[in-house]
This record gives sequence, structure tokens and C-alpha cells, in this order.
Amino acid sequence: MSTIAETAPRAQTRRRMRVDGWRWAGRIFLVFMLLYTALPMIWMLITSIKSGFAATQFPPQWWPDEPTLASYQKLLDPQNSVGQDFLRFFWNSLFVSTVTTILSVIVAVPAAYAFSRFSFPGRNFLFFAVLLRNMFPAVIFLVPLFILMRAIGLINTHGSLILTYLTFGLPLAIWLLKGFYDNIPVQLEQAARIDGATRFQAFIMIVMPLSTPGIIATAIYSFIGAWNEYIYAYTFLSKNEQLTLPVGIQRFFSENTTDFPGLMAASFMMSVPVVVLFLVLQRYFVRALTEGAVKH
Amino acid sequence: MTIVTGKAEARRKLQPGRSGALRKIWAHRADYAYVLPAIAVMLIVIAYPIYYTVELSFFKTPPGLQLRDKTFIGFDNYTTILTSQVFWKVTWNTLIWTLGSTFISFVLGFATALALHRDFIGRGVLRAILIIPWVISAVAASYIWKWIYHSDFGIIGAVLVGLGLADQPPNFIDNVSTVLPSLIVVNIWREFPFAMIMMMAGLQTVPDQLLRAAKVDGANAWQRFWHVTFPHLRNVSVVTMLLLAVANFNSFIIPWIMTGGGPSNASHIWITHIYELAFGRQRWGVASAYSVLLFLTLMTLGYFYVRALSGNERKEGSA
Amino acid sequence: MAHVVLQDLVKSYGGFKAVNHVSLTVNDGEFVALVGPSGCGKTTTLNLVAGLTPITSGDIIIGERVVNDLDPKDRDIAMVFQNYALYPQKSVYKNLAFPLQMRKLPKDEIDKKVKEAARVLDMTHLLERKPRELSGGQQQRVALGRALVRDPAVFLMDEPLSNLDAKLRVQMRSEIKRFHQDLKATIIYVTHDQLEAVTMADKMAVMNGGYLQQYDSPAQVFAHPVNMFVASFIGSPAMSLIPLQASTANGNTVLTGAEGWRLELSPRNAQKVARATTKKVVLGARHSTIKLHKNALPGSVPAKAYTVEPTGDVTFVQAFLSGAVVNVSVPPNIAVAPDEQIWLEFDQERMHLFDGETEMALKAN
Repeated sequence: MSTIAETAPRAQTRRRMRVDGWRWAGRIFLVFMLLYTALPMIWMLITSIKSGFAATQFPPQWWPDEPTLASYQKLLDPQNSVGQDFLRFFWNSLFVSTVTTILSVIVAVPAAYAFSRFSFPGRNFLFFAVLLRNMFPAVIFLVPLFILMRAIGLINTHGSLILTYLTFGLPLAIWLLKGFYDNIPVQLEQAARIDGATRFQAFIMIVMPLSTPGIIATAIYSFIGAWNEYIYAYTFLSKNEQLTLPVGIQRFFSENTTDFPGLMAASFMMSVPVVVLFLVLQRYFVRALTEGAVKH
Repeated sequence: MTIVTGKAEARRKLQPGRSGALRKIWAHRADYAYVLPAIAVMLIVIAYPIYYTVELSFFKTPPGLQLRDKTFIGFDNYTTILTSQVFWKVTWNTLIWTLGSTFISFVLGFATALALHRDFIGRGVLRAILIIPWVISAVAASYIWKWIYHSDFGIIGAVLVGLGLADQPPNFIDNVSTVLPSLIVVNIWREFPFAMIMMMAGLQTVPDQLLRAAKVDGANAWQRFWHVTFPHLRNVSVVTMLLLAVANFNSFIIPWIMTGGGPSNASHIWITHIYELAFGRQRWGVASAYSVLLFLTLMTLGYFYVRALSGNERKEGSA
Repeated sequence: MAHVVLQDLVKSYGGFKAVNHVSLTVNDGEFVALVGPSGCGKTTTLNLVAGLTPITSGDIIIGERVVNDLDPKDRDIAMVFQNYALYPQKSVYKNLAFPLQMRKLPKDEIDKKVKEAARVLDMTHLLERKPRELSGGQQQRVALGRALVRDPAVFLMDEPLSNLDAKLRVQMRSEIKRFHQDLKATIIYVTHDQLEAVTMADKMAVMNGGYLQQYDSPAQVFAHPVNMFVASFIGSPAMSLIPLQASTANGNTVLTGAEGWRLELSPRNAQKVARATTKKVVLGARHSTIKLHKNALPGSVPAKAYTVEPTGDVTFVQAFLSGAVVNVSVPPNIAVAPDEQIWLEFDQERMHLFDGETEMALKAN
């Protein structure tokens, strides 16, 4: 009796201490990662509400003496030339990204469905060929595509970007969606066909609604990819009124190299749409990755 | 004569098999309609450029993309590249950049995923914040960090001076020895969230029963991780690291915007170098030959990628 | 309701024949169970009848129509799936209404039929729920209801009970049987569980390796299995199959075990053995037709008890005999210990004899 009474509490404290050790290591690590992630973004925001003079002080002002929204006002004011450009770039990015997203979904959904459901000759070869696109850097295709786009008259049009962006998004989109379709029991479609639906109706009425999370995830991915793309936009577009945001901002600030508050404000506003979109829909995205990529 | 008959015979032998395959393809013709749009887009934007790049790599090309005037020079472009000093410098940079970014991103992402695996208040918010760098544009990220690293007004330099660790703000990205590590830090900042999401998704698939069994068998937290969790995540880890490696190998924006490859090529990696050769110095032939070399390297990586993926597939089939 | 005829039905995938020249007739109002181990072709056969898989050759006739090339929706069938295949995003009501909507019935008629089906299956209170909010048994009932509302010519059921727990399975078994009797429905029912087939079906079609092995009433299949596969597959515990050597001396036919013991056969059984292609003969005996003795009586053969499993009203004893495992059931008051020496006596009238080469049942005259 006495031995049990003596050893039991000691064993307990030792166990608690060991668990706590891991938990504390985890917490400290998370705090470190949070600082690493968040501080640059916070510094971007703080800089964006400084005046040009306040930003170029040493030592820096941790918090601006006179916070100002002047940089934002300038970027969003259609009356001055900076605002005009910025708003046009913004609109161009929105247009290109939206069209790319819609087309991606239209092309990826049937392809992913076919890769998941049908077994036709060459299916595996084609599937991996599509996936292999992930492997190639944009630059490899840049020169020939530039020549190709010039030949078919798409240079300096948004069409050239949309067509190219489509191929960025497609491989992962098809892969993610295939994972979704793999997880939808084929019996559901069979039941629908027995209940009187054609194969196409079964797809539209039963499978499509079930794969909505996957389609949303695909759409976010395409949109973010198109919104953030830089190299092709940088190479294919030369007319100022057609530039998308990443290129437009770069071109603008290579001429005004010291307007750091303006640059930070522009970077912030360029990030807002994709970050908001992602945060609102992230659960779909994480779920799509789980079902599509990982359980796969 | 004998050759002709031999060929004819071979053709005859082939016939049944081929017509069988054709018949099979014909029987599935409706299935192809679903994948046709995807394949068509891929063909235009991938197959043609690859063919064209290979062709161009054997030609000497005048500047200005007057490609009618190109002349065939065989493997000269390749010898030019492989004998140049810049090539080896850039290759070394690419290696450090790719391996460093991939490995550290993966380890940080995996560790974060593990730390986030346990439920606590504010976990969802924290996770969302950690993912943001991955979502925002690399152009924005480059500018943010360029500002942070700024040699006169950068916040890191100011902090180092303020703490007395430096007499004057160090010049991170204008210095041959610090530029590449500094850029890698930016790259990791953008990339570890991807590894984190993938590994978080992977962690959800670790069977709870196995972990409980290991606990009953007397395994401590580290042993449970090492003997149960980690082996279970082997496939996800391989795929994640390969995707990261490919993305890093192909990255362009961060070095291009932050340094343009400088100073004195210290932050040039293959992609930025190729871009400069092609669109900066208009040496299309050499740039194409570079691309072909890059392509071959990536095909090797791609082989492992497909093998990792199809390894998963096979497993699924047997399950 | 209608009858279903399968004529020389074949389904091949490349060189592999999943269904191999299967012919059978399901009469109007009959409950037929397709039974066999997994991979035997029973589900493929059902999918061929449903039209979910195209046939390679042969004919399928439902009612008076050859339906070979018809879409599933035009075959006038309903199907119940193993995983229920309820549309997860639709409520129970909408699940039941879906087949009627696809047939473009007027709204009020759909409503009437759905409510009627819900009333019959006692799930009116579940109509607004989503499938995931239902228990397994309730989901199964909805799946049944969705088949029921259509009033189809034939019901196809693909292992509808195998996802349920044991107790619920027994209960649903009798419900489906009742359902068949009330509706006089033609039902083709796929199962790997021979007990389900035996208890529910009017006829059972035993399949193995893509071939139809035997098609008859459960009683006939049980009493007269045509080959060793059917014999071992139907009945629980399985029929014991003991490989023996046949010989004839002084006009008597004798079977010899691997241990050297001899068993003299009755004249009728000797007649059967005479038709075997070789001297190798397999003796089949169900547990209830073997008597266990504690000492060597005439006509009994020596064996060693291996395991003893009391189940309450009978005790099952497993013993080794001539390299095979023999199942014997004894009354619970007879105590047998593992490794005890026992003697087994086979009932000559009820034993089965199979050709050791062809594995087919041996028949007298």
C-alpha cells in the first residue's frame, strides 16, 4: 500500500511535465511563426499610412506621428493620373482573373469527371501529361508563346493571358476535382439513371451539386493564380491601358522609386481581393486538398 | 526485296493489334469529348512551345526576334552554355535556392501543422493568418520585403542598429554573400503555408486507432510521431516536397523584382538568367538551349513526381 | 410485374469474363437470389440487367421486350444499392420524388405517391430529414421506398442489407420478404450471404467464377448440391468435404481415409461411386448428419477432436479426418474435450458423394 501511495503522484507529475514540454515547444514555435508571418504585413500597413517624409526617417517611426490615408486616396481617386492607372489595372486584373476562372471550371469539370469515371485507352497517359504541366516553368514557354501569340494576333490583348493562365490552373484543378469525383459513390449516378435520368442529367443533377466544394476550391485557385501572375503579363502586354496589377504596380514604381507609402498601399490593395476571397472560402480549399490531393 | 517483304510482313503482323486498339478508342470516343477541351488547351500552350524551344536551341538567332534569319549551328549553343562560368555560378545558386527553400519551407510547414493539430482557442484565426502570405501576390511580397531589407530605411537594419548589433544598417540584398539567403527567407515566408496546408490535410488521415494503440504500447509523444504519424505521412510529404521543389526551381518573381539577379549574378537562378538572356540580351537560341537543359532536369524531377503520385494510386487500388 | 430472362449472357473485360454464358429465367412475381462469394459475377450480372454495364453478348428480356440496348431509365426497373445511394443533398421527400419527377409526373400525383410510400414504410415523420440524419435502417427503408414509388416491372437489389448490423439485418430481412409477398413483386436480389438467400428467396442462383453453378429452390440446392462448390457454399457451418480413396473388394465398395480406416458404402452409394472418373472420391456430410461416438462402434471411423464450441442448444465439434476439417454438432449434454479420441458415424442416406477430379456430385443410375 505504502509503495503505491508514494510512487503514484511522482509518476503523474512526470507525465504532466513531459506533455507540457511538447505543448510549450509548440506554442513558442507558433508565436515565432506568427511573428514571422504577420510582422512584414503589419509593417506594410504601417508604412502605407505614413507620409513619404515619415517613411524615410532613420531610425524609423514605429508608429507614424501623423497617420494619413493620403496614399490610398491618391490610388483610388479617378481624377488624378495615378488613381486612373491604378483603377484601370485593378479592373484589368479583375476581368482577366474572372474570365480565366470561369473557363477553368468549364474545362476542368468534364475532364476531371472523365478521368475519374471512364476508363478509355490512354487515360493514365493523358492524366499524367496534364499533371506534368505543373512541372514546367513559365519561362520555358515564354519565348515560343510570345511568338505564337504574335502570330495569331493575341499579343497585347487580355486573350493571350487568359489562354495561358488557363493552363496554369488546369492541372491542379483537374487533379483536385478528380479526387472529389473519386469520392462520390458511382452508385449515386447509377441510382439516378435507374430513376430515369440520362447520364448527362445524372451528372448535372446529382454529381455537380455534390462536387460544389471542389468546384469552389478550383475556382479560388484559378482566380488567385491569375490575379497574382506576373511573367506573362510582363512579357505579353506593353500598352499601359492593358496592364494587370502586378505589372502595372511594378512599372509605376520603377519610375517613382522612393514613394514607399504609395507602394505599400498599392501592395495592400492588390492583396485585399485574393486574401478576402481566400479567407471566406478557405474551408472549401482545405477540404478539397484533403479529399483531392492527400487521400488520393 | 527481302527488306520490303519483311516490312510488309511486320505490318501485317501489326495490323490486328492496331485495329484492335483503334476499335477500342472508337468504342470510347464519347469519353474523349470530356477531356478534349483540356487536352486541346494543353496542346496549344505546351506541346507547341516545347517543340519550338527544342528547334530554336539549334539555331543562331539575330536579335529582335527576326526569326526568319536564323542559322543552324548544331550543338554550339549548348557548348557555349556549358563552358561559361556564369552557367556554373547560376546552377550553384539554383541548387542552394531550391534545396534551401524546399527543405526549410517543408520543415516549418510540417512543424506548424503539428503544432496546430491540437485544438485550442483561436486556432482557426491563427491558421488563416499563417496562410495569408501564400495567397498574396509574389510581386507584393517582393516589395514588402524589399522595403523591410532597405539599406537606409529598412526595419531590420534599424532594429539591429537599435540593439547595438550593428554600427550601421546592413545592406542585405546589395551584398554578394547575403543576398541569396535573404531572398530565400522571403521565399519561405510565401511557401511554408502551402506545406502547412498539405501536412494538415495529411494529419487528418492518420488513423486515431493507431495512435491510441501506440499509446497503449507505451510510446511517448516523440515515438508516436516517429513510428506512426510520420510513416503514415510519407506519401504526402514526398508529394509536397516535390511540388515545392518544382515551384522553387521555377520561381522567378522574387529574385527578378528584388534584385534582378544581382549583384554580379549572386542571386541569378536559372529562370531569371534565361529570361535575361532571351528578353534582355535577345539571345533566343542560347536561351532556348538553356530551356531545353532546364526541361531535361525537370523531366527527371517529374519522373519522381509521377512515380510518387502513381505510387499513391496503386495503394488506393489495392485498398 | 414481369418476368426476366437472361439468355447466354456474357460480360468480358478484355480477356477476363466476369459473366460467363449465364442463362436463367425469373418468373413473374418470383424472388430470385443471386448468391456467391465476392468476385463471382453476381453484381455484374445485376448491373447488366439494370443496364448500368453494357453486355458483351447474349440477351436480356424484361417482360416481352429485349432490353439489351436500352438505357437504364427505359427498362422499367428499380434498384436498391448496398450503400443505399441516397442523394445526400436531397431530403427524404425529394429522394422519393426524384424518380417520379424524372418521369414528369404531375406535382400532386408525385405528392400522393410519395406520401403513400412513406406511409407503407412507416417513415412519414422522416420526410423532411436529410439522409445523413437517418440511421442505417432508416436509410435502407428510404432506399426501398424510392424503388417502391415507381411501381416498376422488376426490383433489383444489390446486397441491400450488408451494411446493417446483425440484429437490424434479421429484422429488415423479414420486412423485405413481407414486401415481396404483399406486392407480388419480381425481385432479383444479390447477396454474398447464403443465409439471406436461403431464408428469403423462392429460387437461388449460385454463382462462382462468372459461371452459374446451380439454379433451383433453396431446399433443392441445400439437399442436392450439384458440385462441391455449391455444397460448401450453402449451409452453415459449411458441409465437411473429406477426400477419400475408393476401392471395390468382394462386391463391396469401400472408402479409405488417409489414416487407413475403411468405410463400407451402402449399395446405393456404391452405385454412385462406380460412376466416378477416378478412384478419388470426396465425401460430403453436413454437421447434423454425423454422429459422434466416444467409442469405436461398427461403421464409425476414428478422429481426433480439435476445437469444441458450445453455442447453447448445440455444441459444435471440429475434428480432423483424412486431412480435412469435419464439423459435427452434438447435444450440449455430451462433453467432448479438445484432443480427445472420438469416432464419427456418417448417415449413408444423407451423405453426399463427389467426383474427386471433376468435383461434380455423383448420382445413382
